[in-house]
Amino acid sequence: MIHTLYKLLSGPMMWLAVILFCAGTLYRLWTIFRLVRRKEKFICSYLSLRYSLRSLVHWLTPFASLNMRLNPVMTVVSFAFHICLLFVPLFLLAHIVLWEQAWGIHWWALPDLVADIMSLVVPAACIYFAIRRIRKPEVRYVTGVGDYLLLGLIALPFVTGFYCRMQWPGYGPVMLVHMFSGQVLLATLPFTRLSHMVLMWFTRSYMGSEFGAVRHARDY
Amino acid sequence: MEKRAIMLLIILMAVGWAAAPCLAQEKMHVVDNAIFPDTRCSPALFDHDGHNEKAGIDDCGVCHHVYQNGRKSEVETSEDSACVECHALKAGADNPIGLRRAFHLRCIGCHQIGEVGPLMCAECHPRASLH
Amino acid sequence: MAEPAEKTPLESIPLAEPATALPVADAGIEAGVQALTPRTIADTVRRVLGAETGARLKAYLSTCTHCGLCAQACHFYLSNAHDPSYAPIGKIKHTLWELLKRKGQVSPEFIRQASLIAYTQCNMCRRCAIYCPLGIDVAYMISVVRRICRALGVTPLYLQDTVNSHSATHNQMWVKADEWVDTLQWQEEDARDEIPELRIPLEKEGADIMYSIIAPEPKFQAGLIYKAAVIMHVAGVDWTMPARPGWDNSDMAMYSGDYDIMGRIKRFHFDTAARLRVKKIVMGECGHAFRSVYDTGNRWLGWRMPPIETQHAIDFYYDLLTSGRIKVARKYEEPVTLHDPCNIVRGYGLHEKARYVVNALCEHFVEMTPNREYNYCCGAGGGVINCGPPYKQTRMRGNSVKARQLEATGVKVLIAPCHNCHSGLEDISQHYHLGLEVKFLADIMYEVMEK
Repeated sequence: MIHTLYKLLSGPMMWLAVILFCAGTLYRLWTIFRLVRRKEKFICSYLSLRYSLRSLVHWLTPFASLNMRLNPVMTVVSFAFHICLLFVPLFLLAHIVLWEQAWGIHWWALPDLVADIMSLVVPAACIYFAIRRIRKPEVRYVTGVGDYLLLGLIALPFVTGFYCRMQWPGYGPVMLVHMFSGQVLLATLPFTRLSHMVLMWFTRSYMGSEFGAVRHARDY
Repeated sequence: MEKRAIMLLIILMAVGWAAAPCLAQEKMHVVDNAIFPDTRCSPALFDHDGHNEKAGIDDCGVCHHVYQNGRKSEVETSEDSACVECHALKAGADNPIGLRRAFHLRCIGCHQIGEVGPLMCAECHPRASLH
Repeated sequence: MAEPAEKTPLESIPLAEPATALPVADAGIEAGVQALTPRTIADTVRRVLGAETGARLKAYLSTCTHCGLCAQACHFYLSNAHDPSYAPIGKIKHTLWELLKRKGQVSPEFIRQASLIAYTQCNMCRRCAIYCPLGIDVAYMISVVRRICRALGVTPLYLQDTVNSHSATHNQMWVKADEWVDTLQWQEEDARDEIPELRIPLEKEGADIMYSIIAPEPKFQAGLIYKAAVIMHVAGVDWTMPARPGWDNSDMAMYSGDYDIMGRIKRFHFDTAARLRVKKIVMGECGHAFRSVYDTGNRWLGWRMPPIETQHAIDFYYDLLTSGRIKVARKYEEPVTLHDPCNIVRGYGLHEKARYVVNALCEHFVEMTPNREYNYCCGAGGGVINCGPPYKQTRMRGNSVKARQLEATGVKVLIAPCHNCHSGLEDISQHYHLGLEVKFLADIMYEVMEK
């Protein structure tokens, strides 16, 4: 049973997730660029590399924008969350060993303790985000069930991953849940609001360009 | 009588000394991982004889294989040499498969084909035996 | 750079109670809603969203993570006891989210509420644009809602009246052609009592500068034309004003969402400058007009940038002062503070030049906080004040945070180099008993310059 499921999850399902992620991402980009070409070509004429970068740098550097300074806790949690979310899956030794096993490629891995902490940061941040959604009226007001589900979807692979790392009882089945939840997250990412991972670079660049090159003002 | 006894003892000791590696092999419970510079998990659990008995492996060359010009030798086996002699830590031109990958492929690869035996990290590298 | 503080220590001005939309009787909206049918709504919503929106709206709506970090940007939210329905994204929730989710299948009542939100609870000041980590432009989304409401004919009466005036007379205030010339000559005559050789050159082809203003100036602030004429004369500028329609640079159609009329009046304004073969247009101290000429109207007409160089008064004063064409006789003594208008600061980055001008004219300049790009909106400029008296309470309750910000400066003279800001801030000063004297830069420049 476990062999069959493991085979399914580590093989076809993993490929499916990766393909859906890549294809979904390309599809999102394609639809956006097609809309730009068809209806809003002018956007390209306002884009400025310099001010796109100015905007991105200010919003990707902690506390480099006014709103980050006004919400220091959110800023710290948010940066920690995003960094861990991206780093742990890619630089976890256990994952690298799997890629090495499959394709003979390997790269630098996070130290164990660091990886442990980082994978806990993600669900911890999700809890913070959920509490923030519940407690802050302006956030609760625009929060739907989907927003909580999304937090759960993000937290699940990390919680199960850490569970397996600790080798707590039920290791085998939990590992299967870990694999599956990670795949669901990956596959649905381009189709949920998590697509800001892809689109944010363009919305930020456009805002930065309009503010910098046209309006001569800061957008951060 | 006494002389005979001494002779027997000497012979036994000689045999025992010669057979020592074999005896040790029989008591093998884990795959020695001392060769790895910065080991980050416990040595893989492996009961050599029990495993082979269960798996019905009689041919030592399945694991202790010898490859010549990219082909597995039908006759030669390599029980007397350490894995690392061919599978150096790092993969290179004359060593397509690094040691860690060789171990994992050898064990998990076979388990996947046979659909039996451990597949996931902790099934071979339990946390308790880390220290 | 001074860190703009969000909280003023002053608690003297009470924040308004959470406001469910104040009961408002607006004949324009009422008549528009009466004429709606579910069919016309759905068709119109689909048409506007389908034909006029594209990548931006799609990206903004699907990227937004509902984090609520835009809330603190909005003075309506801050002033209405942090009522989340006033947060920028809260306003989108009650407008675009529903319109898209229900594919336009909404009730006339929904459109009434959407209209009130888009026209009277958001000034499209773009303060939230600099608060959104993902670069989402809520002001743009509100402009889409206004466009839908306009297409459905659900527009506040006063705002629509100014648009009608634009359409019929090419100016915002029903100023008749003869009244316009008459007003200019009247101001010229008055100014000649002070400077006998002064002229307001009309229709001077080939002049360096065409000076264009907004219709409220001839309508009820003619003194500003006088002061501008004195400044131009003293500075020795080769300037002219059109004697025929085309002199009004304002644009209420931009705010009502009537882009066809916006395009017409913007082209007419540019055409007038072209007809007079001037080198550039200098505009009076108005913010929204600058937005229309520099950012919105030109784009609707297909110009990436204005086809004729266009300068806002602050920019022009800066040039006059730095080049020494205007000299200050004696600086203005009373302490002053400066309100950064959204349309020329977040819209054109004139904040540093404005400070240069203020410091050149005044002894004692006190910053309000937050300032520059982070300044709170006046609560009037994005068309809200143009929706008329029915919404004055909405504006007043919706900007107690501005009143606090102004009071915290401890200064009694407030410079607001924008017409809408000017009127909006005068209202705030009165409503909250701040006793402020609101001035244009031209008022002070006229007072302190060597003549």
